[in-house]
Amino acid sequence: MNAQVDTPPETAVLEIPPETVKLSIRDLDFFYGGKQALFGVNVSFAANAVTALIGPSGCGKSTLLRTLNRMYSLYPGQKATGQVLLDGEDILGSRVNVAALRARIGMVFQKPTPFPMSIFDNVAYGVRLYEKMSKPDLANRVEESLRRAALWDEVKDKLKDSGLSLSGGQQQRLCVARGIAVKPEILLLDEPASALDPISTARLEETIAALKTEYTVVIVTHNMGQAARLSDHTGFMYLGQLVEFGETEQLFTNPVTTRARDYITGRFG
Amino acid sequence: MTAFAPQRLSRTIAEGAFLAFCWVAAAVALLALTAIMWSLVSQGIGGFFKPDGSGLDLNIFTMSTPAPGSEGGLLNAIMGSLMMCAAAMLGAVFVGVLAGTWLSEFARDSRYGKIVRFLNDVLLSAPSILVGLFVYEILVAPLKGFSGFAGAVALGLIAAPVITRTTEDVLRLQPTALREASVALGAPVWRTILAVIWKSAQGGMLTGALLAFARISGETAPLLFTALNNQFLSLDMTKPTANLPVVIFNFALSAYDDWRRLAWAGALLIAATVLTVTIIARLLAQEPRRS
Repeated sequence: MNAQVDTPPETAVLEIPPETVKLSIRDLDFFYGGKQALFGVNVSFAANAVTALIGPSGCGKSTLLRTLNRMYSLYPGQKATGQVLLDGEDILGSRVNVAALRARIGMVFQKPTPFPMSIFDNVAYGVRLYEKMSKPDLANRVEESLRRAALWDEVKDKLKDSGLSLSGGQQQRLCVARGIAVKPEILLLDEPASALDPISTARLEETIAALKTEYTVVIVTHNMGQAARLSDHTGFMYLGQLVEFGETEQLFTNPVTTRARDYITGRFG
Repeated sequence: MTAFAPQRLSRTIAEGAFLAFCWVAAAVALLALTAIMWSLVSQGIGGFFKPDGSGLDLNIFTMSTPAPGSEGGLLNAIMGSLMMCAAAMLGAVFVGVLAGTWLSEFARDSRYGKIVRFLNDVLLSAPSILVGLFVYEILVAPLKGFSGFAGAVALGLIAAPVITRTTEDVLRLQPTALREASVALGAPVWRTILAVIWKSAQGGMLTGALLAFARISGETAPLLFTALNNQFLSLDMTKPTANLPVVIFNFALSAYDDWRRLAWAGALLIAATVLTVTIIARLLAQEPRRS
């Protein structure tokens, strides 16, 4: 070890101005059965911004994402302690209506997951769960969502075709459309482009960039270029800890912690 | 030793011998099947034509089982078999689909789930005559009478484990991401299962039900103790009910040529039905799947 005057900090987490905070995570620990996967995560995500989570495989970034919509509650062995405040309200409590919560927080997964039904019904599925709408209103909502997801022009003449008939990139944009059709406040994206070719990825990134005017977006990605292109803030995770969190530009050009610097310069990961 | 040295002679021989054994075994199995099908078709087809060969004879579908020496068909047995199989399938699909769903979606790794799965597998391979005796003890003897309903219960007890098993298997094949995607939109678990998981698995579930139907359509032993038989056409399932397997059993062992002719025709009818249903099941199972 070189003796330095200024030892770089172990962790560095930027505090976001309180008035812009949408989601606030406090002392979050996460357990898969007996195995702890997250260690004391403290961070806030800003409203109407894109936050990227990066880090090597198994670092806990997907786990953190799946905590935010209580996806882990489906599995009896999984447990989170601490607090996740959505607009100041703790969503980890046992009395929270989890289904209603998930309607406020949309999620798009690694692999496209179209439902075995028509393109129209795929997008309308979530809407029908929580809203009673007239047919024309529903049709408008479906069109609006598909336009947002940059898919409308490709599917407008075949809305009755099966969602499974689309290409992989189209399926993933269909999943984005399905997610935003229910008008969530937050959109969680779990490596949404990892199964897509470069052209589909570019289209999906355009879609995501356009979404942040209305949504708070949190994206997990393996692709650091993608994180740099898309996000306003970036968090670097390692071994279940949030090591560094800050403005994307700052984190990629001048990381404060040694571990983030080593990862970003490609020394490991 | 070079990478491309010729294969050792002993290996060539071993490989040839193994392949030859496989061929012979496959041929024996196929030969037996062909022989059965051949005797079935050659002896059974006569029942569908007039005895003098002058044309089609549809008495099989229009007349009930005859007294020896008189004209007759299998109408009562066909109707009885259809009614009992339909009633059995109704109950078995209801129980089997729900039990299979429970095993796959709610009790995958639980201790109670494991016990139920094991018992279901035991029931799946239980001798059908035991099922017949069981239903005789709990339904026929206490109610003092054979009935079509008792027959349907016995057939249903044989079909339900098959459907439970196939339902669980195809539901387990559905990707976790599909469940999570629906749940992530705010759908409750029951809605996710009904609207997404069942829909995605419907081809496989239907295949399972059709295979269960194929299995019970030829079952004889459980019906001997429950539905018994009926000489006449009767749509009253509280009474003894005619059915193809038991009619075949009785007629095939009789001394009368015309009865034996009907037995063969009935056997051919069952085989053709099972074959058709199996082919439909295969086609459904092949429907385009997600990539």
